[in-house]
Formats: sequence, C-alpha cells, structure tokens
Amino acid sequence: MIGIVSYGFYVPKYRIKTDEIATVWGKNPEDVKKSLLIEEKAVAGIDEDSLTMAFESSSSALSDVQIDKNKIKVVLFGSETHPYAVNPASTILAEFLGIEKNYLAYDTEFACKAATGAIISAQALIKSGYSDYALITGSDKGMGKTHDVLEYTAASGSVSLLLGKDDLILEILDFESFSSDTPDFWRREGIRYPSHGGRFTGKPSYFYHIEESSKSLFKKTGLKPEDFAYGVFHMPNGKFPVQVAKSLGFSFLQIKDSLTVNYLGNSYTASALMGLMAVLEKAKAGDLIFLCSYGSGAGSDSFVLRVTKNLTKRKKEFIKVIKNKKYIDYPTYLKFMEMI
Amino acid sequence: MTSLIGYYTTKFGELWDKSLFDLAEEAIDGVLKATNLENKQIDAVFFGNMLAGVLGNNLHSTSKLAEILKINVPIFRTEAACASGGTAFNLAKTYLDSNSNKNVLVIGAEKMTDYSPEEVITALSAAASGEEQEAGLTFSGLYAMMANFYLEKYHYTEKNLAYVSVKNHYHGSLNDKAQFRRKITVEDVLKSAYVSYPLKVLDSSPISDGASAVVLTNNHDMIKKQKYSTAVLASEVITDTISLKSRKQIDEILATKIAADSAFKNAKISRKQINVVELHDCFSIAEILAMEDLGFWKKGQGGAKIKELSTMYGNGGNLIVNTSGGLKAAGHPVGATGVKQIGEIFLQLTKQAEKRQVKNAKYGLAQNVGGSGGTAVVTILAA
Amino acid sequence: MISPVKIWRRQKEIRKILGKKGKVLLWTKIFTPGIDFKKYAPYPVVLVELENKERVYGQLVDYDNEDLKIGSKVFSILRKVRASSEDGVIAYGVKFKPL
Repeated sequence: MIGIVSYGFYVPKYRIKTDEIATVWGKNPEDVKKSLLIEEKAVAGIDEDSLTMAFESSSSALSDVQIDKNKIKVVLFGSETHPYAVNPASTILAEFLGIEKNYLAYDTEFACKAATGAIISAQALIKSGYSDYALITGSDKGMGKTHDVLEYTAASGSVSLLLGKDDLILEILDFESFSSDTPDFWRREGIRYPSHGGRFTGKPSYFYHIEESSKSLFKKTGLKPEDFAYGVFHMPNGKFPVQVAKSLGFSFLQIKDSLTVNYLGNSYTASALMGLMAVLEKAKAGDLIFLCSYGSGAGSDSFVLRVTKNLTKRKKEFIKVIKNKKYIDYPTYLKFMEMI
Repeated sequence: MTSLIGYYTTKFGELWDKSLFDLAEEAIDGVLKATNLENKQIDAVFFGNMLAGVLGNNLHSTSKLAEILKINVPIFRTEAACASGGTAFNLAKTYLDSNSNKNVLVIGAEKMTDYSPEEVITALSAAASGEEQEAGLTFSGLYAMMANFYLEKYHYTEKNLAYVSVKNHYHGSLNDKAQFRRKITVEDVLKSAYVSYPLKVLDSSPISDGASAVVLTNNHDMIKKQKYSTAVLASEVITDTISLKSRKQIDEILATKIAADSAFKNAKISRKQINVVELHDCFSIAEILAMEDLGFWKKGQGGAKIKELSTMYGNGGNLIVNTSGGLKAAGHPVGATGVKQIGEIFLQLTKQAEKRQVKNAKYGLAQNVGGSGGTAVVTILAA
Repeated sequence: MISPVKIWRRQKEIRKILGKKGKVLLWTKIFTPGIDFKKYAPYPVVLVELENKERVYGQLVDYDNEDLKIGSKVFSILRKVRASSEDGVIAYGVKFKPL
C-alpha cells in the first residue's frame, strides 16, 4: 500500500483583507465578500518565493519522521510560480534539505494541480520499487492583476507530502485523472500575470473536470459521497467548492472544515492540499477522505484516502498556527508582490 | 629621524569639477610648493586610495602618478579601506627607516561624488566581510551595531552620541577646507533621519571628494632648510579580524589599543603629554570608542565625558580632539582622511592652524581606522 | 549579475545553518542600503549566536519592534537574501525569525 507518511504546510505570516483591496478600487467590500466568500488571503513577504515556502513545508514534513534521507529518491516540485522558467527548484529544495544526489527530481506544471499530478507519478515510482519515499511539494506565491477578481483570491502557501509504503498516516486507496484542452486560465511565457476566461472558468472548466474526475473514481471504486468523512476540493474561491460538492452529493458538513480559502485565499498548487491540512487536524483513524484537485487548462485529479492509526502520532496543529498573522495594507501588499 | 616638512590639502566636499587625479595633482603641486621642492627631488611616493578600482575602474594608480609627476621612482599604493591614507604614511615612514637621505611624498585621495549614494554605499561595504555584505549590512550598519551594544552596556542614549557631531561641526566652522562649515545643535542631530539605527545622518561622516599630501624626509640638511618641520616619533599599523562578529570585544577597537600602546612606547611619551588628536570619527560612536581605546578616557566613560565637551576648542581643555572638524565636518574622502589627519596635527604643531590653533601644542596624535576596526594606524608627531 | 559559482559555493554553507535556534548578540535597522538591498529597506540585521556558539549574521523578518533587542530568541530560515538582476541566479540565504 502506498500513501502519505508525513506532511507539512507553510502559510506566510501576512494577510490582506478583502475589505482593504475593495476599498482601493471603490468596490463595496460586502458585495465582494458575498460573491467570493473570501474574508482575507495570505501574502508571502518580499523575500519569499515558492522555493523558500516549499523549504518550510518540506522541513516540517521531514521533521517528525526518522528516515534516511538517502532513501528519498524522488523529489517533485509543483508550482505555477516557479522561481525560474528554466532551472529546477526541485534540486534547490533537495539540496537545502540535505537530500543527497542519487535521486530523481523534476518540476511539474499544470496550473493548480501540478502537485497532485506529481503524487500520482510518484506513487508509481514507489510501487515499482525505484524509491522507498517521494517528496512532493505544491508551492505558490499566487499572482493576480490589480483590479481583477484574482487580486482577492490569489494567495501564497505551500504543502509538502512525504509518500512512502510503510508507517503511513494516509493510504492512497485509489485515484483517477481527467484531462482535456480547455483554456480557462493561462499565462504566456514572459507575461507577468495570468489571464482567465471570466465565467468560462466555471461550468465548462472547474465544474466539468471535477465532476467527471470524481464520478470516474466513484464508479471505479464503487464508493459514494456518503462513504466519506470529508471531501476536499480545489478552492479558486469560496463558492465553487461548496457548489461542486453539493452537485456531487456531498453535504456541507462534509466539506466545511476543508474551506481554507475563506481565510487564506487560493494558494494555487497548495490550495486543495491546504484544505487537506485543515481536515487532517480533525480526522480520525478509519476516516475516508475524498480529495479532488483542479488545474486550469484543464484537468482534475481525484483520490480516495484512508486515515490510519498513525495519524495521531504525526498530526499537526493547523488552526492555531494559522492564527499567527499580521495584517498589511494595500501598498505593502504591492511591495511584497513586487508589483511596485 | 624622520620629519614631516610640508602639508597641503584640497578642500573636501562635492568637487564636481575635479576628477580623482585632478585632486591628487592639486595636492601634489600644493605640497611641493609648500616645501619648495621640485618633482625630481622626490625619491618615492606612497598613495592611499580605497575606491578607484571599484567605482572608477582605475587601478595601477601608481603608474598614473608617475605620469603626473613625470619621474621614474618607486611608487606604491596601499589599501586598507578607510585606513588607506594612514597605511600609506606608515609605509613611507618605514621606507625612510631603511633608506637614508630620502624625500618621500605621501598622497591620499578619493573621488566619491561621481556615483550614486547606493553605488558608494555598496562600494564602501567592500570593507566588510562577505557574510556581512550578504546580510545587507552596510558600513553604517556595522557601526550602528557597535553603537547599540555600547549604549545598552553603559546605559547611554543617542543623545550622548550627538555631542560628538556638535563639537566637530563647531571645529569645521573654523576650518576653511572643511566640507561643512555650519554649526549644529544636539537637537539638530536627534532630529536627523536614521541611516542605521541608532545612527542618524548627523552622526555620520559624509560622502566626499578630496586629496591631501605630506612630504616626509630623513635628510637632515633638508630638514634644516625647511621653514616648518615636525618629528615623526611613531607610526604603528595593527590589524584585527575583518568580521565584527569575530572580534574579542564589541565595545572596543582592539587594533587601536594595540597600535596606541606600541606608538606611545616607541615615542617614549605618555598620553598626558598629547595636546591635539585627530581621530577617526566615521560615525559619532567611533569617536567615543577611539577616545577610550587610545587610552584618554576609561572604557565606558566616553558617553558621559563627551557631554562635558572638554575636547572642544576654546573650552580650556588640555586635549583638543579633531580640530579639522573630524571626518564628520571636514568630510571623509576615504583614502585622503588618514593623510589629512596627520597634516592637521602638523599644522597644529607648527602653529599654522589659524582660527583653530591650540596654544602650545607640542605633541599630537592621529588615529586612522579601516572598516569596522580591521585596521588601525596610530601616528605620533612632535613639534 | 552575481556570479552563479559564488552563489553555488555559498549555498553549501547555508545548508548547515538552516533551521537552527539562537539569540541576538547585536542588531541594527538599515535605512540606507546598498544597491542589492534597496527593495527590502528598511530592514533589521542581527548577529545571532547559535546554540553551537557559531555566530551568524542575517536580516530579521516577520518581526515586531519588541523583537529588536540584544538577547531575543530567533530561528534561522531560508529566504531570498539579495536582489539579483532580472536575468541572474537567485541568491537564497539565511535570515532569522523571532521564536
């Protein structure tokens, strides 16, 4: 059985409120909050990037297991805000973590599902016997154009997972992936900010792919929404995950703990995984968790995860840690995002 | 016995019309005229400069000086950050200790205002270790760390530091070669903007251009012919770690202490006999540390003693410090400072200091420091 | 552009001092930085003594003003340390965060 051995997350200290951004652009903050269901989002400091955040979350993931780092022969770095267009952040990360050189590393990109796609590849590498462990990171300092809806949602964060075959806290029971060519959200080479197709990002994109991926996995496994203790979906805003969960047959109770987007925003490749972090704080042995990511362009990876007894010894505080925050104003936000 | 027989300094300040070597040339011409010497009577030249390579892409300055002087003699350049001038002087004296009947020219020069403040700050931080630079520490940052430590350890505040600048600006108003001629108050200093907490603009020496030159000789006939001469009793160069973090103590510059002890021993005089001092006040805290490290004040007393302003001209004290205006008010063209300090002592001992002349100045001391204390030069002259 | 070789050599040393606890020996706050640090200004710099007595310099980040004092307990983290040119190698290094 392949699964997750340990996990780590990192959310930067700074937050900017939806109120603060809306006021600058002369919008009614209450209207914006009602439409996006985002109160505030996490913002990385001026000297942080996807790599520094990945180092934080990976260090955390490796801190509560005693393993020989030489057994981590797969290091995959998923992001849509890679530090370089050409140069692997995965090797920079591995080097700083002290993972020595006989390993396979590469950086992955598929908008917000870059990391979950990597989970699927990595578990195969473990299953085939190539490696005992794999380190997967999803890390983003999400960018959005000013005076655009992404400005309220695009956030910073990182989640790292150490995959393995022994001493698991979460078993990966099964998974599915659904892909198509759907240009709902993209960024061209050399262009700073992503663009998106407005309402096209909804029904034909987010909803279609998540629904198809999920239904595929339900069919394959014979499981139904009511079999799960928790459902975790990618969170581009506070409304979409609630709507797609409902359309698939999940109750609001099953997904409410996962909705980190309400107070952290959408950290892109770390978005769905951050929801998983929140859920793991509460999950109990035997719980089934349904995890479904979405990456624009487009595709969706869905997973059936089962919590083992080992979670209790490696469970991490989430809500309390997230509460250690400092609010910044709009000019500081622009400075941190290097937009001015 | 080596004697200093002549001194000339350009004005220090923002000298837009003059390049580095225009300034050096002015200083050379000035000092040769003051000593009635011709180029061909110079047997060797020692040149102190820190930044010409980094900022102006000018190295091999020794050859450039040969071109200016039109002579073929040994010329050496020394670099020890802000102690470049002092070390040039020291090497000149050492040269004369081993070569008899020679006349030597010592020039210190620096051109800083051709560049943006950030470029200059970055270039000056080359005096710090690689790790200090990588941490974003500037030269002022290092002295600020020392200041925070000193103020906390001995229970002083920023206000104590302000008296240094007040005194030195008053002296600058008496020196027509100084960059800043206006007097300032303690309130002025406290209101100025922070450079590196707790040091403010008015705690910090400026970015300046300038060149200073002296002529040294061990030729007795030459000394007798000269109108002015002072004996060089001692000149010591001592080094310490480049990194502030590796020093034994943070609230002192050990290199100064050792160089001073050595200089007084060789000069065979005591500290009580010194009447005038030019010391390295790159920042106000540096003057306080120097007074303690040179042995004039007890360690930790400086913050209190400076408030008495006993070392200020006209207050009746028997030890007057930085009559040139120090680095703060006279200006700090890095490579020139070490030579200017010695030149100022020369003026005092030969009664040429005009409005700032200290009566009966018989013995004087100059202290020049490189970086955050990695090099110290202490020189003692006698009238 | 900072030499990529220098960054590469330096990063081997940085790895050894990440994730370590220490206390502040010296500090200041820089308001007038050099070229590569302009965008971070003003920023505090601390000299920290780690538990193994090694002394390390670094900027202090994610701090409150009360943390700026001799004796503060801090922790070494990975951050970008200087602004490379747009086309240069990124310089990652050690900074400190209050514990």
